[in-house]
This record gives sequence, structure tokens and C-alpha cells, in this order.
Amino acid sequence: MPSLSTLVITAGPGIGDSLANRLRGRGDEVFLTDPALDLTDAATVGDSLRSLIGKKKVDNVVLAALNPAAFQALPITGLSEDQWDDAAEWSMRAAFVSLQQVHEVITDGGRVIVILPTVAATGVADLVPLCTAVEAIRVMAKAVARRWGARSITVNTIEVELTAFILGDAEASDIELPVVPILGQPALPLGSAVDDVLGLFDLLTSPSGGAVTGALLVADRGTVMQP
Amino acid sequence: MTGLIGLMEGRVVLVTGAGAGVGRGVAAAFASAGAIVGIGVRRPEAASETAEDVRAAGGIPVVLQCDVTDAVQSKAAIEQLVADYGRLDAVVHNAVSGRSSEATDFENTTLAEWEDHASVTVRATWRLAVQAYPHLKKSQGAYLLMSSPAGIEGSERAPFYSAVKAAQRGFVRALAREWGPDQIRVNSVAPLAISPALENMKILEPERVKRIEGLVPLGRLGDPETDIGPPSVFLCSEEARYVTGQTLVVSGGRFTSL
Repeated sequence: MPSLSTLVITAGPGIGDSLANRLRGRGDEVFLTDPALDLTDAATVGDSLRSLIGKKKVDNVVLAALNPAAFQALPITGLSEDQWDDAAEWSMRAAFVSLQQVHEVITDGGRVIVILPTVAATGVADLVPLCTAVEAIRVMAKAVARRWGARSITVNTIEVELTAFILGDAEASDIELPVVPILGQPALPLGSAVDDVLGLFDLLTSPSGGAVTGALLVADRGTVMQP
Repeated sequence: MTGLIGLMEGRVVLVTGAGAGVGRGVAAAFASAGAIVGIGVRRPEAASETAEDVRAAGGIPVVLQCDVTDAVQSKAAIEQLVADYGRLDAVVHNAVSGRSSEATDFENTTLAEWEDHASVTVRATWRLAVQAYPHLKKSQGAYLLMSSPAGIEGSERAPFYSAVKAAQRGFVRALAREWGPDQIRVNSVAPLAISPALENMKILEPERVKRIEGLVPLGRLGDPETDIGPPSVFLCSEEARYVTGQTLVVSGGRFTSL
């Protein structure tokens, strides 16, 4: 398979960042956005992508961009308007702006993969803003999949367990994790979530994956089994 | 709708966006069930038909100015209901952006259009919950969101509407867990019904409406009062005391794969 170029959009360290490292490590051409980039400003994001990629177009895009503020576990009654906005709405705006700008830089027949945590499938107390944002972004991706199908661009979502989303390859001791009830036990033995996502990335970006769009693939080793 | 009689007797309910469409029908259904119905509208003069429906159904209409994007107004509406009737048993958040029937040019639009949708359907969903919380906790009541099948399957024409309606479903699942210990139930209904948006669409894109009707196994779009109202009342009533965190799709079978 020829080497493909991949743009990875993140809002900080975590699964997207780790996936970018894996792709680079095996020799793929990878463009990784600056984690400090304001993903809610269309002009800034557009300029940044152009500066990163140049005049060419990319084959694949990975969007794994949730505001870290969303990972703080708090009851909704304890949130100020600004906290709600940071934890819930910022990530939705970022997804819209990012996808809108991606439309300009992705090649026809390209593949967009949105990575999200599984939390919204079941809901998690004290993570209402995060669950709200995740479900919005997942369905926004479906809508975009419908819109961009005419260009043979596929748009799919991969969901991973929340801790794996936040940490990626980092050590649990390096990053503060939200204290929330676990969603369940994985059916399969534990392994690297980044490797799991990489496997699905390869499937979705291969010629065999060209007919899959608007889908949700859950890579959590059988923790949350959707109906 | 004799099946509703007594289900919400003496209960106090706030319905937002109740001036027309689904909100108006749901308000009338709550009245049939015996509720005191707070008719939340941006402009009180737009509530006269709903108030008449509520009266005709044997209920007590309380018209409240409640632009849900205005934190002061939504809080005042809730507080007035509680002050006048002593309790609040359910909030039905049905209001949507006035632009929800418009097609969204996702690739070329701006954040201002997103904000139109998000302010009503996302931020107000959270804010109403916070404002109603102490009263719903006291009554062990219910919070019901009017979502949409578009919030499940995604819409090519309405990506923003789809996203904000999906946001409500994520909100419902998480808040149901958060408020479960308080015995407050949180659910959503995903209706396919005649609404101001669809009435508009009938004028602007009549063929599109016919196409939608053709996709409904039951062969018609739902009636807000008689088709969407009863399931909404049920979810807020004591009969649904063990139902929380759910989305009930009320679409005549249009959508079957939740």
C-alpha cells in the first residue's frame, strides 16, 4: 500500500498525539496541529492547516480534539456558564470548525476518522458536559459523512475507553484522570488502545474501508457493547 | 385521549417552545392529563392558541415569557410557577432555534449559525436543568428533552440541528445517572411530527415533505397533541417511575434502529 499523508488534529496530548507518533514511527507522512491552536477560530485553523500542509491535499484526517476541561468530573449544578462552555460547547465548536477547514484540505476519496471516548454511549454521572459534546460530535460526523459522500470521502468514528483517550501512550501517573465510575470490565484482555486504534485506522484508510462511512467502531476491548 | 386522564393531576409542568407545533400539542396533552401547564414562549402574545387548547383540554394554562437563551427569563418562569402553584413536577424542553428548519451550508457557514442552534438546544438544556433542579428534587420529578431522529442518524441537510439534538441524547444519558440518586428522571423523545419547521418545509419544499411521509411505515407525520403528547406525558408521569436515561423514538416507525 503506498504511503499516505495524514493530518492529525488534537487539543493536547492523548490518543491523537500518540497515534500521530505511531504513524510517524512507521514512516507515514504526518501533519500534527499545534495543541495550542485555537480550534474554534476558523481563520486561524485555516491558516494553520495551510501553513502545515502547504498547497497539497492530505489523504486522511484524524480528529481527536476535546477540551481537557471536559475531563474534570463535576455535577452540572456546580458549573458556571463559562465552565459549561469550556467543558461542553468548546469541543462542539472545535469539531465544526475543524471539519469545515478539513473540507478544504482533504483529497477526494480521503478518509476522516473522528476519535472520541465511549462515555456518551452509556452516560457517566459528573461528566454530563463531556457526554453531551461527544454525542454531538459523533452525529455531526454522521451528517458530514452524508454530505461528503459525493466526493467519496468517508467519515467514521472510533471510540475508545475514556482513560485511553486521555492518556494515549502516556503514563497514568503523568496526567490527572477524572474520578468516575468505571463503565464495565473489558471482555478481552487489556492491551494498547493506541495499537487498537491504529488497526482500525489502517482498515478505514485502506481500499477495503472505502465503503464504510458514518459508522461507529468501538475499540474498547468489549467494555461497552452497543445495542 | 382518555388514557391520559389523571396521569398528571395537580402536577405542575413547564413546556418551553409551547407556542406552536410539538410544544403546543404536548402542552395540550399535559392538560388532558390534569396538569397545570406553564406555557413557555418568547412572546406571550404567541401563546394564546396554546392557552386556549390547554383550557379546552380541562387544564390550567400559565403563560410565561421564557426565551430559553435568556437565563433571567427561564429562571423567572420556573420561580413563578413554583411561587404560584407550590411545586414543579416536570420540565419539557422543546424550544428550538428559529433556524432549525433551514438547510445549513456546513462548509461555508459561520459559528454564528452554530450559536443559534447551540444556545437554544444545548446551553438552555443545561441551564434549565440547573434552574429546575431544586424543585425537581423536591417533587422527585422529571426532565424531558425533545430530541429528534436527526439526532440519531445525522442529517445531510441539517448537520447543526442533528448535532445539537444528539447533544441532548448524550446529556440525557449522563444526567440520568447523575440525578438518579435524587429520584429525578431524565429522558428524551425523538418525535417525527408536524411542526412549524415542517409546515415551513411544506411551503418551501413540498416534495421533500411527501418524501418524508413516504418513509413512515404508518404513512403519516405525527400529530403533536395526539401522537407525541401521550408518550411525553407518560415519561413525565408516575407510570414511568422506573424509566430514565432513555430516548423514546416516536416516529411512526420511520426510525427503527436505535
